[in-house]
Amino acid sequence: MTRNEILSELKKVFAPYTTNKEMLNEINDATDLIRDLKINSANLVDIIIDAEAKYKIEIDYDSADKMINVGTCIDVISEKISQKNAEYR
Amino acid sequence: MLSTGNDIVSLNAVNKTRTKQFVFYSKILSHTEKELFDKSEFKSIPFENFVWLLWSIKESAYKYLQRITPDILFSPTKITVNNVQIPVGYNLNTIDITQTEGIGFNNMMVLNGSATYGSTTLYSSSILSSELILSVVNHKENFENVGWGVKLIDKNDPDYQSAAVRAFLVKKLNTLFRTDDLVILKTPDGIPIVMKKNVELPIPVSLSHHDRLIAYSYTQ
Repeated sequence: MTRNEILSELKKVFAPYTTNKEMLNEINDATDLIRDLKINSANLVDIIIDAEAKYKIEIDYDSADKMINVGTCIDVISEKISQKNAEYR
Repeated sequence: MLSTGNDIVSLNAVNKTRTKQFVFYSKILSHTEKELFDKSEFKSIPFENFVWLLWSIKESAYKYLQRITPDILFSPTKITVNNVQIPVGYNLNTIDITQTEGIGFNNMMVLNGSATYGSTTLYSSSILSSELILSVVNHKENFENVGWGVKLIDKNDPDYQSAAVRAFLVKKLNTLFRTDDLVILKTPDGIPIVMKKNVELPIPVSLSHHDRLIAYSYTQ
């Protein structure tokens, strides 16, 4: 998946947890999940679990810690998808 | 450096079914922390409330530490809750959520605990009622230097929550310091600070909100 394809799906992951729907259409790598999308920290675990299910990946603790903005979310998801694909080869 | 940290969880806003699933709680609790729940004294607390209790302690500890080390990342599994003591004869707290404020927790049956991050140990006090969990952390077991407040607000819109919790704390601090010109701002790292006429006051404060509940803590 390209970063744009991941981003497109990621918007659907964020959608249930943000009231700032307009911001969702304008997100970029620098968009902060808590400060910009106004996602409550209590929902961060939901987002990690939903991302794991959507991309069929496992996100370890250290990687989850990095998922603070859209760019780092895409970095982690991209890395985990690559790892999964490498295992299947 | 003095700091403070608090976190509030609205129990009506959490997904209880999901919280009880291993895939969820294992992102928050270590195996050792899960074993804390298996102690008999915790059986009176629903497991989902235990998970959110530890979440609130960890989030409070993170906020405490972030003031000292602004680039710290929130990592629930790297902050370890060592113990949480349930008082003898414990019953759920009955707290007036429309608005309750206090200094310390001396006359309340709260759950006291401790948490570590690296070599730092912090102490926690938590109120657990049918509606909410409020945790506050401090650098010592005695909380008589810590003020706190919780309040029910009309809307759960993030901008409204943010404005309401700042106003709630400012009203308290203005009364405490007999002034009317305090302002709460946030640093570029997102840490709340108290300002008086463009000068930062040495009063560490912490803000939290979840759904229609807001809370603050400050240290003197």
